[in-house]
Amino acid sequence: MFTTGFKFFFGLFAAFCAAALVYGYTTGGNHVGPLSLGWKGGVGDHIGYGVLVGLAGVSLTISLVLVSFRDADAAAQAHLQNLAEVLTDQPVTASFWPVVASFGVGAAAVGLVLHPMVFVLGLAVIVLSMVEWTMDAWADRATGDTAVNRELRNRIMAPIEIPVVGALAVGVIVLAASRILLTVSKLEAVAVAGVVSALILGGAWVYASRPGLGRRLMRILGTVGALLLLMGGVLAAVAGEREFHHPTDDTHEESGEPTGTTGHGG
Amino acid sequence: MTLTEPAIADSEAPPSEDGAAAPESSDEAPEAPSVLAQPFVTSDAATVGRLFVVTSLLLGAGTSVIGVLLSLGRTEAVAPWDLFGGFNAYFRMWTLYRMSFMLLVVMPLLLGVALAVVPSQVGAGNVAFPRAALASFWSWLIGAVIIVVSVFAGGGWGAIDGVTGNESDAMALTLLGTGMVIVALLLGAVTVATTVISLRQTGMSLLDVPPFSWSMLVAAAVWLFTLPVAIANLVVIYADLRGRPAIAFGRAESPDIWLQLDWLVEQPAVYIMAVPVLGIAVEAIGATVGARSSRPEAITVIVGLFGLLAVGGWSQDYFTAPQDLRDGLVYVAFGLAAVLPLVALAGGAAELVLRGTKTPDRLLDVRMLGAGAALKLLGAAALVGALRVIEPLDLLETTATWAVFHGVVAAGLIAGVVALRNWSHELLIGPLSVVVGRGAVALLLGGGGLLVLSDLISGFLADAPDLMALSLDGSAVLNVVAFAGSILVAVGAAAAALGAVSALRTPLTAESEAG
Repeated sequence: MFTTGFKFFFGLFAAFCAAALVYGYTTGGNHVGPLSLGWKGGVGDHIGYGVLVGLAGVSLTISLVLVSFRDADAAAQAHLQNLAEVLTDQPVTASFWPVVASFGVGAAAVGLVLHPMVFVLGLAVIVLSMVEWTMDAWADRATGDTAVNRELRNRIMAPIEIPVVGALAVGVIVLAASRILLTVSKLEAVAVAGVVSALILGGAWVYASRPGLGRRLMRILGTVGALLLLMGGVLAAVAGEREFHHPTDDTHEESGEPTGTTGHGG
Repeated sequence: MTLTEPAIADSEAPPSEDGAAAPESSDEAPEAPSVLAQPFVTSDAATVGRLFVVTSLLLGAGTSVIGVLLSLGRTEAVAPWDLFGGFNAYFRMWTLYRMSFMLLVVMPLLLGVALAVVPSQVGAGNVAFPRAALASFWSWLIGAVIIVVSVFAGGGWGAIDGVTGNESDAMALTLLGTGMVIVALLLGAVTVATTVISLRQTGMSLLDVPPFSWSMLVAAAVWLFTLPVAIANLVVIYADLRGRPAIAFGRAESPDIWLQLDWLVEQPAVYIMAVPVLGIAVEAIGATVGARSSRPEAITVIVGLFGLLAVGGWSQDYFTAPQDLRDGLVYVAFGLAAVLPLVALAGGAAELVLRGTKTPDRLLDVRMLGAGAALKLLGAAALVGALRVIEPLDLLETTATWAVFHGVVAAGLIAGVVALRNWSHELLIGPLSVVVGRGAVALLLGGGGLLVLSDLISGFLADAPDLMALSLDGSAVLNVVAFAGSILVAVGAAAAALGAVSALRTPLTAESEAG
């Protein structure tokens, strides 16, 4: 029922609670202060008492996490899954979500100081990676077969991932392309749109007519194209939109010349 | 097998006698990621451990260069503030040197060794949370980058002559990076500790666990009881720095930021880096001479006792009058008692040597030399620590503080070199070259010894508290000795880093393993 890890950390929790009580009363605590975390009465030396209570809190948290999730406790896990023998040597599949989560934490930290948008983006990445990580962890232990596990995971996550990733990709492409087209002059915008459209059409035609072309090559070309688009979008966003003349009585023309400013009308 | 014909174990497999279903076996190994993708997706703790070891050694080489510049600033050749372009810049580098050696070099180095070695020692196929181990490495690395970039951008852990607007942002980033690094190290430590506690072979009690795994369990527990206090400090400092005055706890506009965190690199908390060193030393000596301790339980108790004496969250004196805490019985007792387990462990190591095969090649083995050097430096550090808490000697707020720090750091680096040699198979690298290993150990021992000695004597000579060793009068010769020591440490750290990197390129063959 209780896992080994739980017993260990719960024992530590009890020991720290006792130590905090003894320390509180021996350093000037009175009434039920040390018992009630200072609600009714003094706790004695705040620092020492606080540290001991903090340690007790950490121990209790770890113990509850361990017992709740049966983490790494082979016997408890077997009992939970109604298995005769626990699958302790099941391979954990490779996953990039831990790295994504780490970058999310880094982005949140940097954003906390530099810009709220970066902070929100970091939080979103953390939440997303936690969900995916949880699903990966569940799927790894769903059955004893890695192929089945992968299929189980994809059956649940693919209907969510594909539309979300597709919408994000479309959003990024639209945003990046629009930044580029709004930065260059009116004539250049037409040229850029025409050339890029022709390239996409030409590439698709070549791929359709020569199916022998490797998927690897197409992946590389796609990745390079996406990176170029993204970099162009970022550079264009930094450079700012060209100057627009809003419609007045006399003119409905845009000047067509980039100014390097971000504001409308100069 | 597909989903149309399968087999979720608990629903379709034939039940066993007691009613429980037998799990299905799987012959299919997971698809191995490519070499380039491996660092980003691996679920193999040994690979993560190797990443930790190599990266921290490279950071160690960089940090020791900062140490050389700081030592040069202590000599009379050039004023420290001229060397770095201002007093604040000098203070930034001075604090970065200390924090970096602890959080970016020694602790991750030993954690990396543990991630690779502990599972095989306790009979587990992998660590308990392989993905958490990977997240630990990347969070640590990103946090380290944030720290280094923000410090060079004018941040750091406080400023001597006040904080300007831009510095405030950079300092906030330094604090957040520090918190990220600490959380990452704790994540790795929890992974290792859980592996030892829960994934041991059936029948292996905690007393049967090999010394290094036991020392990492103790270290992880000590880190868990010490580092969260530092995170609490960081939260308080961040609130002071960025929050409204109404919620100010301390002061963040001065070196007070550092004063709230300096306990982490002073005794007893500084010893949290050194706990795994004991396990590495005992195992390396035993493996070299081919002997086992006659009293393994004694080693267990000694390592546990040293870990207990390294718990240091209570020793911060910022919120109390320093004399109340540091002249107190508990602080003095911790300082004096830290020597005892090291003396006992030296006895245990001597017993191993006496019981084992004492041929010259074994006694001159890198592992033997390194383990001896690490224990000597650690013993010297603890001895200085004991002297430091003796009130009449007046060493508390002097450079003797850094003698302890330098001894522990050099011992940790040497332990890393020993581990590279002793567990190359577990770390998935070729064995560290004998010449590089011996050279690194000798340089680190010599450099660490000179730093410990010069800092201790400078402490005795100081007329007034002088933690930053900026009162140059009267100790010029010692400052030159410290400079020489820091150069030796830098060369030793660079040799260890280059040795590790070149071992990565060495194919792991039977011959190289034997060599």
